[in-house]
Amino acid sequence: MHTLSTAFKNLKNNFSFYALYLLSVAFVVTIFFAFTSFSMNKVMLEKISNDGRVETMCNTISVFLMAFVVFYMSYSNRFFLRRRTKELGIYALLGYRKSTILSLLTTENLLTCTGAFIAGILLGSFFHKGIVFGITKLLDLAVNNSEIPFFNPNAIMKTACFIFTVIIVLALSNSRFLFKTSLMDLVRYEKSAEKKMKFHAVLSVIGFLAVISGYSLALDILRGSESLWITVGFYPVAMPTFALILSGTVLFIASFLPFVVQAGKKNKRKFYTETKIITAPAFIYRIRSNSRTLIMLTLLSAAALTVSSVMALSLYYPIAAVSRMAPSEIECRIETESEITAIKQIVSTYSSDADVTFLQTDIYKVASSGGHLPMEYSIGTSKGDADNEKILREAGFECIPYSAYKALLEAQGRIKVLEQLATLNDNECILMKYQPSSDNNEMGDIYPLLIGNEEILVTVTMVTLDNPISFANSVGTLVISDDLYHTIAEQSVPATKILSINGKSIEDNEALFQALSDYLSGSPYLQGNSHRIHEIFSLSSSTFLLIGFLVVLFFVAAGSILYFNNVSAVTDSKSDYEILWKMGYTDKKIKKIIQKQTAAFFGIPFLFGLADCVFGTLVYKSALMQNILGNSPLLYAPTMAAIMLTFLIYLGYYCITVHTCCKSVLTK
Amino acid sequence: MSALLEAKEVTKIYAKAQRPSLNKVSFSVSKSEFIAIMGASGSGKTTLLNVLSTIDIPSSGSITIDGINIKNLTDSGAADFRRDKLGFIFQEYLLLDSLTIFENIAVPLTLQKLPPKKIENMIKSLAETFGIDSQLNKYPNELSGGQRQRASALRAIVKRPSILFADEPTGALDSNSATDLLNTLKESNKALDTTILMVTHDAYAASFADRILIFKDGRIIRELFKQNDDRRTFYESIALEVAKLDTER
Repeated sequence: MHTLSTAFKNLKNNFSFYALYLLSVAFVVTIFFAFTSFSMNKVMLEKISNDGRVETMCNTISVFLMAFVVFYMSYSNRFFLRRRTKELGIYALLGYRKSTILSLLTTENLLTCTGAFIAGILLGSFFHKGIVFGITKLLDLAVNNSEIPFFNPNAIMKTACFIFTVIIVLALSNSRFLFKTSLMDLVRYEKSAEKKMKFHAVLSVIGFLAVISGYSLALDILRGSESLWITVGFYPVAMPTFALILSGTVLFIASFLPFVVQAGKKNKRKFYTETKIITAPAFIYRIRSNSRTLIMLTLLSAAALTVSSVMALSLYYPIAAVSRMAPSEIECRIETESEITAIKQIVSTYSSDADVTFLQTDIYKVASSGGHLPMEYSIGTSKGDADNEKILREAGFECIPYSAYKALLEAQGRIKVLEQLATLNDNECILMKYQPSSDNNEMGDIYPLLIGNEEILVTVTMVTLDNPISFANSVGTLVISDDLYHTIAEQSVPATKILSINGKSIEDNEALFQALSDYLSGSPYLQGNSHRIHEIFSLSSSTFLLIGFLVVLFFVAAGSILYFNNVSAVTDSKSDYEILWKMGYTDKKIKKIIQKQTAAFFGIPFLFGLADCVFGTLVYKSALMQNILGNSPLLYAPTMAAIMLTFLIYLGYYCITVHTCCKSVLTK
Repeated sequence: MSALLEAKEVTKIYAKAQRPSLNKVSFSVSKSEFIAIMGASGSGKTTLLNVLSTIDIPSSGSITIDGINIKNLTDSGAADFRRDKLGFIFQEYLLLDSLTIFENIAVPLTLQKLPPKKIENMIKSLAETFGIDSQLNKYPNELSGGQRQRASALRAIVKRPSILFADEPTGALDSNSATDLLNTLKESNKALDTTILMVTHDAYAASFADRILIFKDGRIIRELFKQNDDRRTFYESIALEVAKLDTER
């Protein structure tokens, strides 16, 4: 029979067997093609990248993406080759030359990849269009869609060349296997028995201790300034933590888990149950040959989950922090009264000004002779402690009156904060913190304020993160009573005058912000809430999108590998389930056994990934992110969302895997 | 002696088959009997074993084992029935590779929810009786074919089934291992009163039974009784009968 027709018949007769392979390769090609189309979409790149940053990132991620596709397809190919070794041995027995068998395998791969390529190009084009549409809407870009072709010929060519290269790599790998394996080994390949597991107590204990030590080191970051991460340094602690978790994970899976399961068999009451007596030894049996796959999946799972969690946190956190960085919809410094008139004129041009409020706050800088002053008093006064070192501030408290504070909160719609405010006496004040600090609580501190020649003592009665003015315009803000404020105002001139503009009708009005920016000659003191959010989205979205490609691809590959691995293990043991059924196990009990066996193999990468993600995110947030929002559990919402999404993806794959396993085993 | 198994007019017709695989088969098996079922390939031996053991459902007729009409059993009822009443030995041993021999033998007992201490005692005592106590902690792939099949036999016997079905149990064994296994079965039949129904095409294996049912085209065409003959004489008469059948083909 002709090789092509044999290959075609093989694929047709084993369609259900190859369907998932075809689907997953098609999915991988879809992601790859959509990514390639996006990275070659000049119209979009011009809009979202001014400095070539996105292009560089595309090139870097493209390398990872290609490496991942090669790895995934090699794994799948090896899996199918192993399943068909006996069949190939029979071909060889019948007189087929190994070169003919190789050409049969290559033709099958070619047919599968061609199918996946066509499906991937079609789906990838839709996916690419969807991404373009999503980014255009999200960033409010003016893009002429007709300039973006549905099929990008260059992307098709690049994808085709890449897939063809992968087929050649697979053919080389298959030829190596075929020519290295003897005829006898080919025929008996499937029957080769697993080697007996050796249990290493020492390695198991080392693995367990390494994981626990790694996680304890990560947790140490919660000790704040006393933490080793601060006292010793970030990298000197990060490196051993990473090494401990990495080596611990390897030993934990390869030695500790089988050791614990084996030891658990000694608990006879638990072991001699209809499910456990099958699942516990089967776990040890399978982990012998699958520990490397499982370790690899666990590490990849941990990396993908941590990356997606950190990514979500990196986007969510700055957006959540905008309420502190720019609490008013628009805010700027004013020098003259005529500026206020001009600004009001611009605002009325760009919006219906019915609901717009303009609030002017005069800030007085007051020095203090106190010995124990908050860090906000002198922050940004010297190089090395300011975010924007071009603009250094003068040390001092920046005083605003209590009535102005309330008016600003009301204009900003922060009713809950307003409701919790207590009245202020002349000897009391509210301190606006820049960063939350648990170990340096200023409540009850007394600051001597130098007003003229006098020294007036004020006691901190409230410490808050609810600043009404952006940090660009005021740091070290002290809210004082209106009477004390008037006393200060009588003796000095304001350091700065701030105009805060709020109102529904000016929200998300980028044109207005641009007009004001033009009027104020790009002043760094012009701050806008919606503008800041828009800016964060436009700066970050492309990065997240590109990393998102990698994360999605990983999940498809990891899920498929777990699927193939479990389906293969269960179908290889089909006769075992048959004998269990004949012994009196009901279908329900057999299903329970399959569920437990599969759950163990899905659970290990997921739970390890989850633990690594939680500890990694904790370290990232505590050590690498500037915390100006406190420790509200809400801040972990994106991490929870990333974990939930991962859980749902794993659950989906788990259900499909169990369904396929049960279908193949329980068919009478 | 009362009948432990009673098959009446049992017929099995598979879809698309030109003729029934079992054609109105009736016979009974008494408690503690050792019966061999012989016949050429396709004569209906394995089909009979499958329908008797609730693995397959007869098209018509009735089968009663230990007073239970197995045709009326639901799926879960049939599973419970196999768990409590039946034991199986197969040509391919079908031991679970991931379990030690001890654990393999323990599976049917855990299914019956026996206490761990009792499970251990039962296995140890039986293993001593049948001489495989030194192999209990080994895995199936560490044993020879004969040792595996003996372990498989012990797994079937240990729960004291009402009836033990053996499908070509010596098919994959060398002659010494086959004799060992048949002696094990015979010993279990005599010492433990195990009722055995063994499908075989081997006259030597069949000679260990008390009675032979010979199948052809889905029917019982001959019935041979050992009565007071010794095993060698019985073997010769079986071999003669088989040869006669071959010439009739």
